Amino acid sequence: MSNLLDSLSTELRRGTLTLAVLSQLQTKQYGYSLAQLLEDSGITIEQSTLYPLLRRLEKQELVESIWDKTESRPRKYYKLTDFGAEIYEKLKTEWLVNSKQLYELLKGENEDESD
Amino acid sequence: MNLIDVYIHEVTRRLPEKNRDDIALELRSTIEDMLADDFTEQDVKEVLSELGNPAVLASNYSEKPMHLIGPRYFDVYVSLLKMIIPIAAVVALISVMAKYIFNYDENQAILNMGLLILGEGIWVIIEVFIQTFFWLTIVFAFIERVDNTKDHSPLSINGKKWTPDDLKNVAYIPRKKAISSVYVFLGLLWTAIWVTVYFNADQLVGIYHKGENGLQFVMPALNQTVLNSYWPLVIISVGLEVALALYMLLKKQWTKNVAHLNVVKEIVGTISVIVIITNVAIYNHDFLIYMSNLLNFSESTILGFIQRITIILYPIFAIWNCIDGYLKAKIRK
Repeated sequence: MSNLLDSLSTELRRGTLTLAVLSQLQTKQYGYSLAQLLEDSGITIEQSTLYPLLRRLEKQELVESIWDKTESRPRKYYKLTDFGAEIYEKLKTEWLVNSKQLYELLKGENEDESD
Repeated sequence: MNLIDVYIHEVTRRLPEKNRDDIALELRSTIEDMLADDFTEQDVKEVLSELGNPAVLASNYSEKPMHLIGPRYFDVYVSLLKMIIPIAAVVALISVMAKYIFNYDENQAILNMGLLILGEGIWVIIEVFIQTFFWLTIVFAFIERVDNTKDHSPLSINGKKWTPDDLKNVAYIPRKKAISSVYVFLGLLWTAIWVTVYFNADQLVGIYHKGENGLQFVMPALNQTVLNSYWPLVIISVGLEVALALYMLLKKQWTKNVAHLNVVKEIVGTISVIVIITNVAIYNHDFLIYMSNLLNFSESTILGFIQRITIILYPIFAIWNCIDGYLKAKIRK
């Protein structure tokens, strides 16, 4: 049962990952700092998913990247593009509406049970 | 060997050339970020296990599917396999039969020919199955990889997205009306067997005695030369049986036309059998004498008995077969 629960909750989270990543890229971040930020907010994301996801977002022109090779360790920074910011706002609204609807749905169920 | 270098190589070797350096550099920077300043090999292992299997990481980067044929094409793929394999198998089987019948070698050990056809037939069917499976899989795996459309919804057999109108093209076949490919195969097998026996009757049909080396063929019942002279009738019958088999395979169910063709086949078959069986010259005279001594009847009684049984029973089965065809063709649901 715990296996099934795991796979279901992974599935539940998967769709929200893009939104979570976009939300943290309003200021520029490199891969590991972004992973840390997400982890601190309690978002679980596999590293093997996060880095490829960043490249995908870049290919879709939602984020842009720049190499900073001035420091001892070269780092690739990612940041939202204007287009990315626009999409992010729309996606955020979508999520808020959806989660409100789902919340109402789940709350309603709770009330039914207490009857 | 440095584990980090090997890990990065394991990831990038699976990626397209143009991205390799960039991804390698970023990956190295990330891995070093994840490690403390003075790290041990154990630390490296922990970090790498967090990043996971290099093959999975690489596939996430490349977005190429990690399956041969995905849900978009799988149903079309399976449907095509089911459609092509039986047809290809029957065509192959017929060509094997034709090869043996046309290249018939008088000197060949006779019962062997039937076994050879059976053996090579089975082998050819397996080969056709493997070939069809292989090429169709290759083609679909290729399509899966060059398909750049964003739409991932499964396709129906006509290569388009499913709509309710597709239901109009579905051939709904009630079970009793359906003709299975096994039925067609057995029919063809039967054709091959009786043709082989017919043209080798003088070495297969007759009196057997129990000898030292198992059964020994003592005396043929029929006269092969006379039997062979009826070859046009046999060819027509075989042609009709093969035609009916192919038509059944195509239609997959009993229809009026299948039943009509079945009647033509039965009529030709029945007439041929009666014509051949009533010709006294086909019987080996020695065989009739032997039987009359054995059973204590006169030769003409035995001859009459064989002929009457055939003339009565064969048409009864033929007529029943024809009626059965029409009954099945009439089934609506």
